[in-house]
Amino acid sequence: MRLLQRSLRTLLLYSLILVVISVPVSLFSISTILNGEVDESLALQADQFLLHIKSFAYLDDLETDLKVLDQLSYNIHIKPSAEQIIINKYETISLYDSVESVFRPFRQLSANVTIKGKPYLLSVQMSLVDNDKLVLVIGLVQTALIILLIAGLLLLNRSMSRKLWEPFYITLSQLKAFELDKSRSIEGAMTDIIEFDDLNKAAGNLTERSRKVYLQQKEFIENASHELQTPIAIFQAKLDTLMQHPGLSEKEATTIMELEDTAKRMARLNKNLLLLSKIDNQQFSELEEFELSFIIENLLSNLQSIAVLDGISISVTTEPINILANKTLIEILLTNLFHNAIRHTIKNGNVSVKLRDRVLSVSNSGIPLKMNADTLFERFSKESSNTNGTGLGLAIVKKICDTCSYHVSYRYENSLHIFSVVFPS
Amino acid sequence: MKILIIEDEKELVKSIGQFLRQEGYVCEVAMNVEEAIQKILLYEYDCILLDISLPDGNGLYILEKLKEKNKNEGVIIITAKNSLDDRVKGLNLGADDYLAKPFYLPELSARVSAVIRRKHFDGQMKIVFNEISVDLSGKSVKVKDQAVELTRKEYELLLFLLSNKNRVTSKNAIAEHLSGDDAELLDTFDFIYAHIKNLKRKLQDAGSPDYIKTVYGLGYKLTI
Repeated sequence: MRLLQRSLRTLLLYSLILVVISVPVSLFSISTILNGEVDESLALQADQFLLHIKSFAYLDDLETDLKVLDQLSYNIHIKPSAEQIIINKYETISLYDSVESVFRPFRQLSANVTIKGKPYLLSVQMSLVDNDKLVLVIGLVQTALIILLIAGLLLLNRSMSRKLWEPFYITLSQLKAFELDKSRSIEGAMTDIIEFDDLNKAAGNLTERSRKVYLQQKEFIENASHELQTPIAIFQAKLDTLMQHPGLSEKEATTIMELEDTAKRMARLNKNLLLLSKIDNQQFSELEEFELSFIIENLLSNLQSIAVLDGISISVTTEPINILANKTLIEILLTNLFHNAIRHTIKNGNVSVKLRDRVLSVSNSGIPLKMNADTLFERFSKESSNTNGTGLGLAIVKKICDTCSYHVSYRYENSLHIFSVVFPS
Repeated sequence: MKILIIEDEKELVKSIGQFLRQEGYVCEVAMNVEEAIQKILLYEYDCILLDISLPDGNGLYILEKLKEKNKNEGVIIITAKNSLDDRVKGLNLGADDYLAKPFYLPELSARVSAVIRRKHFDGQMKIVFNEISVDLSGKSVKVKDQAVELTRKEYELLLFLLSNKNRVTSKNAIAEHLSGDDAELLDTFDFIYAHIKNLKRKLQDAGSPDYIKTVYGLGYKLTI
């Protein structure tokens, strides 16, 4: 759920509750005010009536007149009463409306008055607004209000989320697209909103710092591998001269050989590390167009004589495709894939290389992986420690594919390890 | 034959010098660009081994200087950098070969003799070792006057051993010379052993004595 939707939902809920509460509250307050006004006006009427009557107090037939008045008047009634105490009593009653044939609410003031020494009960009535109607009207008004409120909020929200949050989404998409090894650090545009500027600044600093650390590390690996080349070269050169020593014992010769194997391993490891950082540092950026199947067949023909030592047969089916890439990188990619396949093929097994529809698949017969296939392309993830590999071959394959935007994948099917590389056209 | 080694790593210079002197080369050393320039202006060399990263500058400058003075010494660049750029630049500036550190000294020795052969005899040369003679232009081998049919690998192997005659050449050095990066795949040296065996048999069948000796545990040595 989006941030604005979440805040909008809360807002809407709050206004809904307010509107719902406001209906009885306004109903209550309106009727209270109305009743108050009506009561005042009733009191005034009663007072006026009594004043009027008092000026006719000398009339003998006043009592008869009052009776007639009681009969004729609709809203003023005066009847003889037994009560002596004078109380003013306000109440809401329901009376029959003969015109509309319904009961209507009335406000009534009942008071005991004394006219010519006789007690009378005076009641004055006044029609009130129908409560049901009041509820209906208020309800309608409030419903209209809430519809307008929601529609308005939704519209505002939509245009706000576009305009107001635009810088945020720009920064977000930059962060999403950020790749340590490719992009520059993020520089958000200045906005007039403090939070967004802060966010941009923080994202900028963070990415810049990560990039710096990454570049330093990259440089360090390359420098370290470079610096190691010379000592390894000296080590190897010393072994080559030591070997010439006449009268070496068998034991000494074996030790020299073991040292040479170690030097060889160091040299390969170092060479592959250097290669990885060189690819990282884009030192293979020169592109040319060439025929892929030709290179594949050429590389495999060299490998044939080595594969045959373990009774491994290599079969190739290719179709001509042209690719635009760095030739050295592609040769390294292919060599690593082929080496990997041959190295992990069981004795007398098969390696099959197919190039069709711009997909290269290299498969070899072998037992299933013991390691997690997901970590196959990671540096130094080796299936077993006794193979000759450096544990960097497939990492190099992956790195080259990432650099060239090729898709590389691994699967195990019918006792075959299959690596596929897709060369997009 | 005179060789100039331009390299600032003392220990490496020592080993290279020692190894090449066994082959009968005269080796001189320059540890920096300045010293190297002085030497190339004063003397003639048959081959120059050139490290590109030197303490007082880039070794490619020496190549430019050589070109400027129209000197045609054979130059082999030996470098820790092994960058494509340097390789292309170096070869464009007239270097004859390029060898990345670390390397096997027999490999260096083979490259040096190849460069010297090319420079002095325009590649038209025969290597003669007692009964065996190798025609480099025709890539053919004869024992006395009898032609020996060798495969490409056997021919390369023979040439490699001849460039390192009287010296032990390790199986690793041979494997890398014959198979390059593919040597990584060789778990054992059966491959080398098979080639050596075939080469020995073919040479002996043609009437040559068995010059290729197995040095236990280490490798092989071509010697009288």
